[in-house]
Amino acid sequence: MKRDRDLGKTEAVADGGSASPGKAMMWAAEPPDAGVDELFAVLGYKVKSSDMAEVAEKLEQLEMAMVTKMEDGASALSNDTVHYNPSDLPGWVESMLSEFGNFGGFSGESSSNLIFPNDDLRAIPGGAIFSNNKQSDNKRMKSSSPSAAPPPRPVVVDSQEAGVRLVHTLMACAEAVQQDNMKLADALVKHIGILAVSQVGAMRKVATYFAEALARKIYKIYPQDALETSYSDVLQMHFYETAPYLKFAHFTANQAILEAFGGANRVHVIDFSLKQGMQWPALMQALALRPGGPPAFRLTGIGPPQADNSDALQQVGWKLAQFAETIGVEFEFRGFVASSLAHIDAKMLETGPGNSEAVAVNSVFELHCLLSMPGGIEKVLNSIKEMNPKIVTIVEQEANHNGGVFLERFNEALHYYSTIFDSLESSGVTQGNSTENLVMTEVYLGRQICNVVACEGAERVERHETLPQWRRRMSSAGFHPVHLGSNAFKQASMLLALFAGGDGYRVEENDGCLMLGWQTRPLIATSAWRLTASE
Amino acid sequence: MVQLNEIVDNAKAEKRAKFCINDHMDVLIEILKRLDDRSIGVAACVCRLWCALTRNDALWEHLCFRHLSPPPQGVRTVVVALGGYRRLYTVCVKPVLSRLEKMRAGGAAEWERRVWTRHEVELSLSLFCVDYYERVLLGGGGGGRVSGDAAAPSSLMFLCKAVNV
Repeated sequence: MKRDRDLGKTEAVADGGSASPGKAMMWAAEPPDAGVDELFAVLGYKVKSSDMAEVAEKLEQLEMAMVTKMEDGASALSNDTVHYNPSDLPGWVESMLSEFGNFGGFSGESSSNLIFPNDDLRAIPGGAIFSNNKQSDNKRMKSSSPSAAPPPRPVVVDSQEAGVRLVHTLMACAEAVQQDNMKLADALVKHIGILAVSQVGAMRKVATYFAEALARKIYKIYPQDALETSYSDVLQMHFYETAPYLKFAHFTANQAILEAFGGANRVHVIDFSLKQGMQWPALMQALALRPGGPPAFRLTGIGPPQADNSDALQQVGWKLAQFAETIGVEFEFRGFVASSLAHIDAKMLETGPGNSEAVAVNSVFELHCLLSMPGGIEKVLNSIKEMNPKIVTIVEQEANHNGGVFLERFNEALHYYSTIFDSLESSGVTQGNSTENLVMTEVYLGRQICNVVACEGAERVERHETLPQWRRRMSSAGFHPVHLGSNAFKQASMLLALFAGGDGYRVEENDGCLMLGWQTRPLIATSAWRLTASE
Repeated sequence: MVQLNEIVDNAKAEKRAKFCINDHMDVLIEILKRLDDRSIGVAACVCRLWCALTRNDALWEHLCFRHLSPPPQGVRTVVVALGGYRRLYTVCVKPVLSRLEKMRAGGAAEWERRVWTRHEVELSLSLFCVDYYERVLLGGGGGGRVSGDAAAPSSLMFLCKAVNV
């Protein structure tokens, strides 16, 4: 009992009512048709994907026809016409069209025009959009209303393949930008917007952010310079809560610092990225419980200037001091406000050789910003050397977003952020995270995406580099790697096992450094360093 | 007649032999110490005395660390300062243990019989610190935290939800 489309045309209205339940039962008895379009299926129409192009065309023409008919004052729809089973969409459309009469000339004249005008979607490579489907090159039919601008051709979007098309379109757009072909890029960006809507979940979000970033690049509307630092702190706080990346960073760095301090009586930690100070309670607790009792703990926090001149650093310091008092650790805090790490030098921090402290320098996601400033990173590494630290812990994103070629940077970023969004998607649902947290985390990542793609020069601060690149840099600056021990590895593995999405997160050890990734892709790397010349 | 006397005598004997556990708190505490967390919760509902006993932090300290050998030094001051053993257990220890156990033994073995490792203690304590810091110190000023949601800070939200492993 196959569904026969022609059956619909010959049935009379009287039978229409009784035929539909029969047909419905017939459909239910059939095995689910893999080729049926999902979006239509939701509405109750079963349309084969292979027929979609035809259906789309005819719907377009029907719409045009109805519009013109209305304008003429006559309403064919109010006639005593026979309406066939609307669930049989192609047949119904055809029957409606035949009511309006033949408009002629729509039998799929394919255009042999091979010149691509600037907004031609055939520029998208790989045949993803324009496969062998000649029907999509339909000729617009003559409309009696001159005011109608030529409507865009109906592009058939099969949601199952749309993901692939979306990626292709994104890459094509980036390539257009690379070649400075802004008109094509403009058209493609709009197309991305349409395609993105048909997706769900991580793919949709990633596509939306990248499309926005590309649009900014094309129209040269650069994002306003760094939002209020308090706002970006809040965003990072949500990122801390939602995903294990920052927790991993903090725990592994703390372990390295703890081991480097050994039994020292006075310790001094210099934090390049204080933010809300989430890293330090755990370290203080570990110091409090070490055999022999806690040392005197001094923390120097460096942070950017606040827009409203409030002393955020001091507030964080005060909270940490309260915590330290609660657990019985002698604590001292000093905050330094600096718009860039390059403005800090060792003398300010009072870490001269007269001090008998063990010094640790900690930087989480801060060093890469210095790469936008010529000579910045060298200056900071020199300052670090002057501080004479026992250990330097560095946590950075594991990706190369600092290449010279825009297209390569774009592709790298697309893979990297897709992976992160995937991980959030898989683990976010089961974590019990509030939607607010997830959304803020996505905004946090979206800002990074925008910076990598849309900005240039000094404004582009998200210049991530890979671990080998950082290794080269640190070695040439006079640092020697310190292996993060098995303790750090075990703690990190356990921490990740606690996350419900734990089957996706992977901790890897890479020549003494620890990397946290999702599935096969490493996303952040923690490394520890000490000065080569021992004193 | 003889039967009635016997009955009365038996009743008196029963009364003498009746044993009320509430009169023997040390025994009661020893018993409670050996229970698992759910049973302690149930016990807390019995009467006011039992409820007060189960709130005693020493009981929860025993629950947290009874499988750990040797018991950790100096932890008590820290834990008590940060909210007590009962909170440590509910917020950190129980989820940590149950999830790691599931990961390892596929959920078959009873987690109670496991022996803690040093790392798990450290991890639980670290998470407990994060919890305290966020809840108590950052709670007021954090971005958009709903006041009704104050029971669990968001950083440890991943521990609160049951895991579908």
